Amino acid sequence: MADAPLARPETGLVRNVGAAGLDLLLGGREMYSVFVRTLYYVFRGRRERGAVVRQMFEIGNRSLFFVSITMGFIGMILLYQAGLQSRRVLPDYTMLGATYLELLVRDLAASLAALMLATRVGAGIAAEIGSMVVTEQVDALRMCAADPIDFLVVPRFLASMVMTTALIVWSGAVAFVAGAITANVAFSVPFHTFFSMQLIDAGDLTIGLAKCVAYGAAIPVVSAYCGLSTFGGSEGVGWATTRAVVNSSLAIIILNAFISTAGLLLFGTK
Amino acid sequence: MAVPEPTALPPPGRLTHVAAASGAALLKIAGTAGGMGVLLGRILARLFAFPPKIDGPELKRNLHKMAVKSLPIVVVTALFTGAIMVIQAAPLVKRYGAEGLLGWGAGFGTLREVAPLLTALMISGRVGANNTAELGTMVVTEQIDALRTLAIDPIAFLIAPRFLAIIVTLFVMTLYADALALFGAAYSGYGLIQVAPQSFYNGLTGGLLHFGDVANGLLKSLVFALVIALASCHFGLSTTGGAPGVGRSVNATVVASAAGVFVLDYLISFLLG
Repeated sequence: MADAPLARPETGLVRNVGAAGLDLLLGGREMYSVFVRTLYYVFRGRRERGAVVRQMFEIGNRSLFFVSITMGFIGMILLYQAGLQSRRVLPDYTMLGATYLELLVRDLAASLAALMLATRVGAGIAAEIGSMVVTEQVDALRMCAADPIDFLVVPRFLASMVMTTALIVWSGAVAFVAGAITANVAFSVPFHTFFSMQLIDAGDLTIGLAKCVAYGAAIPVVSAYCGLSTFGGSEGVGWATTRAVVNSSLAIIILNAFISTAGLLLFGTK
Repeated sequence: MAVPEPTALPPPGRLTHVAAASGAALLKIAGTAGGMGVLLGRILARLFAFPPKIDGPELKRNLHKMAVKSLPIVVVTALFTGAIMVIQAAPLVKRYGAEGLLGWGAGFGTLREVAPLLTALMISGRVGANNTAELGTMVVTEQIDALRTLAIDPIAFLIAPRFLAIIVTLFVMTLYADALALFGAAYSGYGLIQVAPQSFYNGLTGGLLHFGDVANGLLKSLVFALVIALASCHFGLSTTGGAPGVGRSVNATVVASAAGVFVLDYLISFLLG
């Protein structure tokens, strides 16, 4: 390297693919380390009083309005599309509500609400921790012998586990009621036909709750990792926020595919 | 807590408080919508001038940065989305014993709704937020004012190329996502519930799906792109308050894009039927 007089621009395809692969590997290892340390401090750490409750307010109550609005609209859209779809095959709407509720419980409520939360909560966590990193507050924490994971990530992790589950249950209810109203107006399905739980069983509930917990854990860990690895001043905070949103959304989609596959293999299709 | 406050004035009633807060929120939303409308008008005036007042090299640079660099995310998202759609359609297919309907069941939802929506969310997170951060940093470091001082129109030089690039990016990415999601769905259907890819493709092309369904999804992607592009440029340009302001703008962009995408999705779904 040292005796090369004119370095060629490094744009080989193999080099690019290799660099991307190495980046992915290193990023994955870092994220795994954040996750493991978070779990360790959940059981071993010192807890600052009120920190978890404050984060629960920040993550949960502040997102309630946004999640309700988007999930309400999404409930109306989903049911409308489902109605159009079933109208093309057999114009029978008696099972519409039961099928819709099953889909909501098993997948859509959790995944769509989590995508919304990844946007709102993930961006917030990454921006907050990222600006602490660039203003050297995180280094100050380390100098006071407080691990930033224990002090910053664990409260957000615990708060997100609780509030994500609560918000997902709430947003499922919102989407279902919005769907019921749409079904009544657009396809004149009576409410008592629509509110039917006959297709819900333990398998659906297990898959839905597993998704709640997995997403609740993934969003703060991924976003905190992105926030903690901020560099490059105020512009870096913008980049960290972007990466947090994209990576948490990707994490949700990938987790969804894995949990859904596991559910399909465990509980079958009945 | 038990000791009452010694102040003489009673606190304003809860109702007044709520009314004031909701009024302020409404005014803020109206202001944002108005600002976006004005920005759209200014951009369109540059784009439809003859010759179009838009900076070519900047457009090319942005297209590369936004579209080419987002390709890996879109590919991963689309493949997994296809698999998820098949897993969700599987119980219905098994219940009615109609394996030929799997392609139609998964394809209908994917093409009309899920592929455009998820691609828009991913692009809004990656491209829209990034664009706001870039423009916001330019605003707080007074680079936009510097452009004006040099008699360079910031809208033609910075905003119009980004606006156009976001719209082209999302449209092309939705095309990719449609194809890749169906591909992923066909092979995960084969792997998970043993429906041959041939019968999946037959279900897709068997007459229950029309070109209108694909066009519906593509039209949606154009509208989503419009919202994302306007929101990211508007919040970037209206950044105030230094470096923390850039973070706030990015957050506002992501939230406004997501909300706007869902609301418009609803409106388009009902209008097109």
